Amino acid sequence: MDHTSDPAALRYVIDPKRLDLVEEFRASPLGVHSPELRKLLARMRWGRPEGRLVLIVLEPGKAWRLSRIPKRRGDPMPFVDDRVFTSLVEAEWHVFKLRWQEMTGTTLPAEVSGDL
Amino acid sequence: MIYKTNEYLGYPDRISVPAGEAVRFQLSSKRPSVKVEVLRLRCGDVDANGPGFKYEVMTSSIDGEHACLDQPIRPGSNAVIDHDGALVPTGGHWCFGAYVYPTRIADNAKAVMGNWCERSARGYALELDEEGTLVLVLGQASGTPARFALDVKLRPRVWSFVSCALDLSQGSASLSLIVPPDGVRPAAAHSKSFALPQALALDSGLPFLIAAHHLNGDRQYSAHFDGKIEAPRVLSRPLDAEALRVFDGRQRTGASDAGLVAFWDFSNGISSLSVKDLSPNGLHGRLRQLPRRGVTGFHWSGSVHDWRLSPQEYAAIHFHSDDIYDCGWQTTCTLDVPAHWRSGVYALRLTSGGDNPDRDCESYVTFFVTPSKASRRADLVVVASVATYLAYANSALRLYQVHFETLMEHVLWLPQDDVFMQENPEIGQSTYDCHVDGSGRAYSSWLRPILNMRPRGYWFNLINDTHILDWLEEKGIAYDLITDVELDREGARALAPYRVMMTPTHPEYYSFNMMNAIMAYQNAGGRHVSMGGNAFYWRCGFHPAAPAALEVRRGMAGTRTWESEPGEVHLAGTGEPGSLWRHSGFAPQKLVGVGFSAMINDTCGYYLRTAESEDARVTFIFEGTGRHEKFGDFGFRYNGAVGSEIDRYDLELGTPPHALRIATSEGLGAGALPTPEEFRTVVDGLDGTQNALVRADMVFFETINGGAVFATGSITYGMSLGHNNYDNNISTITWNVVNRFLDPRPFVMPATA
Repeated sequence: MDHTSDPAALRYVIDPKRLDLVEEFRASPLGVHSPELRKLLARMRWGRPEGRLVLIVLEPGKAWRLSRIPKRRGDPMPFVDDRVFTSLVEAEWHVFKLRWQEMTGTTLPAEVSGDL
Repeated sequence: MIYKTNEYLGYPDRISVPAGEAVRFQLSSKRPSVKVEVLRLRCGDVDANGPGFKYEVMTSSIDGEHACLDQPIRPGSNAVIDHDGALVPTGGHWCFGAYVYPTRIADNAKAVMGNWCERSARGYALELDEEGTLVLVLGQASGTPARFALDVKLRPRVWSFVSCALDLSQGSASLSLIVPPDGVRPAAAHSKSFALPQALALDSGLPFLIAAHHLNGDRQYSAHFDGKIEAPRVLSRPLDAEALRVFDGRQRTGASDAGLVAFWDFSNGISSLSVKDLSPNGLHGRLRQLPRRGVTGFHWSGSVHDWRLSPQEYAAIHFHSDDIYDCGWQTTCTLDVPAHWRSGVYALRLTSGGDNPDRDCESYVTFFVTPSKASRRADLVVVASVATYLAYANSALRLYQVHFETLMEHVLWLPQDDVFMQENPEIGQSTYDCHVDGSGRAYSSWLRPILNMRPRGYWFNLINDTHILDWLEEKGIAYDLITDVELDREGARALAPYRVMMTPTHPEYYSFNMMNAIMAYQNAGGRHVSMGGNAFYWRCGFHPAAPAALEVRRGMAGTRTWESEPGEVHLAGTGEPGSLWRHSGFAPQKLVGVGFSAMINDTCGYYLRTAESEDARVTFIFEGTGRHEKFGDFGFRYNGAVGSEIDRYDLELGTPPHALRIATSEGLGAGALPTPEEFRTVVDGLDGTQNALVRADMVFFETINGGAVFATGSITYGMSLGHNNYDNNISTITWNVVNRFLDPRPFVMPATA
């Protein structure tokens, strides 16, 4: 299988102690990032599409809501919660925190996990 | 307002229609009626941060409410053979079988061959069940169908020969599976015999099918096979399974094979939709929903990669349960396009109508109006990139690609059309996506709803292109519009009436005729404003027997989301090599001076002028701008004129030596990554922070006979035109180019050229 098709192609292991990277991301979720943060983000974003968190565009440029890619083609694709994002930066930060929890098994301390 | 964009779906019978001619629309909805309006689009972009959704509402003969049917989409390809009973076993011996290469064993039965009808439970067929077990299905005069299974499973992606021998006089049957050796796997053979029930009902009264069962007698089908089938055959004399497998269907002059009923040779007519029977019975058939031909068969030697050189090695057809060429819907309304309508991008606006319309229910069907044969022509023609729109039609990249979020560098934003595609996959996806069996999609047709080629849909390609139309309208530049279809069918004749042609943001998919037509036009004195990036990249073709479909084969290099199977790079429709134009000796640089270099996944850049831009030959381009300005460090959606996908100058790849590289990109970063054909070994230093080849170049050159070419080398260039109310340096230089190109004074190639 080629690299871009293999869900396990990225070997980076997220270090739950690297809160500096969390702070860097939080400062600018859609900005230009350091090489180490780029590696972390590439790992977070890589993988099997099934179950991946995605934003559904409710109104272009205005409103978005979280959903997940379902397991099989043809399955329904419900929203995961009621929250409507009006900022892509906030949505990006929200998903980052969910994935941090999922992938490291640790909860971010309050001082680095507050809203933007 | 949150719009419901898929309450109405539809498609035109022809994607482009000359003014003065008719176009039929096939619409579908669960709602009983639809209100139709016709819009001529100026800017199709509904994003509140852009120039705005701009259009003219036309007065047409189809305005108003129409009754609307709920019309299903039934994907899945197969072969249909009319036989007048010749393929119904009538007594004695009946042996039939085929080579199979299943690519997906799951969910439901996969039919190989037979006339079995699920509704009537009559007929006979060979199928693989959901576990991959070979099953013989036989109808009975009363009661449930008889099913006999071989207790061994076929493996996916392994060639096997499956067969059945019926002895109706003795009331017995045998099922066989022969797996020829491959690699380290030894040969294997399995068979099993069964006693048949008394009263069989083997005549469904319906055509014989390959790769599907009849769902009913209404030409609806089910149990579509996913995978390759080769050389299905039927004989009415006893043969053991191995003898049936090695039976040579080729007929010698004057020598008939006793008991040969049919032998379908798929190597015959690969570029067609017909399947040929080699037997004297002439039981020829036809293919529906465009399965893939020109694929390697059991006998592929690996010594040829072009099916035209050895068709016998390409005697298989790859069927898919999700192939879709033509939805086959009934026509809802027919528009006689008035002869006086301007050419352009048009769309049906479909709403719920009635006294109490749902204001949030709004859907579109896009089509293109080209100039009538008699109408006066503008001096400039825009060529709408229909081949590219088709290649991306219903792209599900955001749904199903492993790498796509890493590529985009943000959480993926899915328009609600993507949710619709996930929940309704029968609509068929793009040539970037894979079939349900994991093989790449080679075909995309306009005879089905295309969600991302319409207002309120995903903006890439068509909607981005309308930003250029918006700018032309804003600047009062008269233009005609034709599409890739005219360029493909009419060649250079389609461009001949115009002094200037303009290709929009992303003319990526080009057929042989389209490439040569532009070259001929340029060399005849035509002027070409190439506004986009990743242009003239894939060598593709419209299928001659299925002209609403574009065929794409992904070669061994290039930016692509799937790869052709070994030996399957040549197009079935035309035989020519698919893959990149660069690999056919016609890199885009040879046509317009620049060709694909990189994708920009993070921040976009801008242009700075080069020393070459001080040449007097290009003074006209920069009039009204400063020597050291940043060109396009702004823009809607992408925030920069250099972005998305960018092209560069390269003499070795064919940029004319006299071409001037008048500006080049700045400001690209680590998310600017070269396309794979741009490097031969992976080394450090490939990304935009270090790699000098990761760049967009703006070029200009003159052609013989007074023509000229200007190329921007960037997809996002067009989205900078409207910045600051159309007053910006990208708009200025584009205006300068268009203005001078419209001027009949000939350009003169420098003597050194």
